[in-house]
Amino acid sequence: MQVMPEKRNTRQYMSTVRREPQEMTPEHLGQLLAEVAKSRSRIAFGELFRHFAPRLQSFATRQFGNEQTAMDLVQETMTNVWHKAHLFSPEKGSPTTWIFTIARNIRFDILRKNKHRQNDVSAEDLWPVLSEEMSDSDEEFALDKNILLQEIGEYYLQLPDAQREVVEQIYIEGKSQQEVSDTLGIPLGTVKSRTRLALQKLRELISEQN
Amino acid sequence: MSKIKFHPSEELLVNYVSGQLNAALAVVVGTHLDMCPRCRSVVHDIEVHLATRELHQTSPMAEPELAAMLESILASEAPMVAPKSAPEENIILESKSFKVPPSLGRHASRMGPWSKMPGGLWRAPLELNADERMHLIYMQENASVPEHTHRGSEATLVLDGVFSDEHDEYRDGDFIFLDATQQHTPHTTDESCLTLAFLDAPLHFTSGVARLLNPFSSLFFR
Repeated sequence: MQVMPEKRNTRQYMSTVRREPQEMTPEHLGQLLAEVAKSRSRIAFGELFRHFAPRLQSFATRQFGNEQTAMDLVQETMTNVWHKAHLFSPEKGSPTTWIFTIARNIRFDILRKNKHRQNDVSAEDLWPVLSEEMSDSDEEFALDKNILLQEIGEYYLQLPDAQREVVEQIYIEGKSQQEVSDTLGIPLGTVKSRTRLALQKLRELISEQN
Repeated sequence: MSKIKFHPSEELLVNYVSGQLNAALAVVVGTHLDMCPRCRSVVHDIEVHLATRELHQTSPMAEPELAAMLESILASEAPMVAPKSAPEENIILESKSFKVPPSLGRHASRMGPWSKMPGGLWRAPLELNADERMHLIYMQENASVPEHTHRGSEATLVLDGVFSDEHDEYRDGDFIFLDATQQHTPHTTDESCLTLAFLDAPLHFTSGVARLLNPFSSLFFR
């Protein structure tokens, strides 16, 4: 196939102007999400927001053809990102994919709400993205669903270092127990017992408080 | 589990991922995904592809607007999470209990009562809302559904057992999608079969005495 020389030049030109001011790799975006999850970093969230808001706005405007509804989708999507960053897990996909699935669900629910029906299914019933249920098969290690990770935030700092490290990697970074074992170079059995002890301790701390 | 032979088309999966499907059909597809690692991996690829494509372009947003939205998000309360009950693991028909995947089990509370129909068939409606419903259909051994066409499309997922029609044999996890032009005669032989079926228009029976059922077919399968 022949390529016209002018066309090739245009393409080269386009690619230089369109380059992003800062390299937003999936790794970098993932780190920002981890910082939001771990320390509620407003700076990290601000960076995520400035990257995703104009993209979500463009997506939503194409979907709804209405700028106000589009803004609502942006706000609702990014509100979920701010509060639920801990549910992101790098194994399941990139931050962009995760945020797209949140926006997809919110779009579905916005279209539903226009119909004003009670007892309708919500997008979360169809595509669970933000449900705080453990998809891990290690059921015995599942945290009580009613306990939000945010609540645990303060308590887990009181855990011994070795246990805290494991809890952090599993429940915040979303690693499997096997991966934690590989990362830390400790046996799987040790990861399991530290997790069990840590969760026991967390439950005690939480019930003492309430 | 034996190997699944029939899968949703890529077009259907794309519509599933982008949230364009009728909710009932989305449940049928989602239940197939629970049973089918192959399609889960296709869906993952589609998600990556759509996310990249849909979130590539940016809309210019005015700086004051951006800053105001950011402020209000940072000041927002965490959204309430309604505690979700765990998905039902089993569906009961008389003395039989069938294990069902979570994508179906999550909606088990919406299931209506079983009713027995001629030809060795049982049916229970599962209504997501007024115009989005599907049915669980249980065909006992040696049962048959009269030959019919569909005015709309029909999606059938085998949950447990095996049934056949003039084209092929379908087992656990198989997903069959027929449009309005295709006709078929589902039947079972010495094994019973539980399916999840979505119809977007009533059946139209095409042969024999069953044609007399046409005025009532909406009572039958919808």
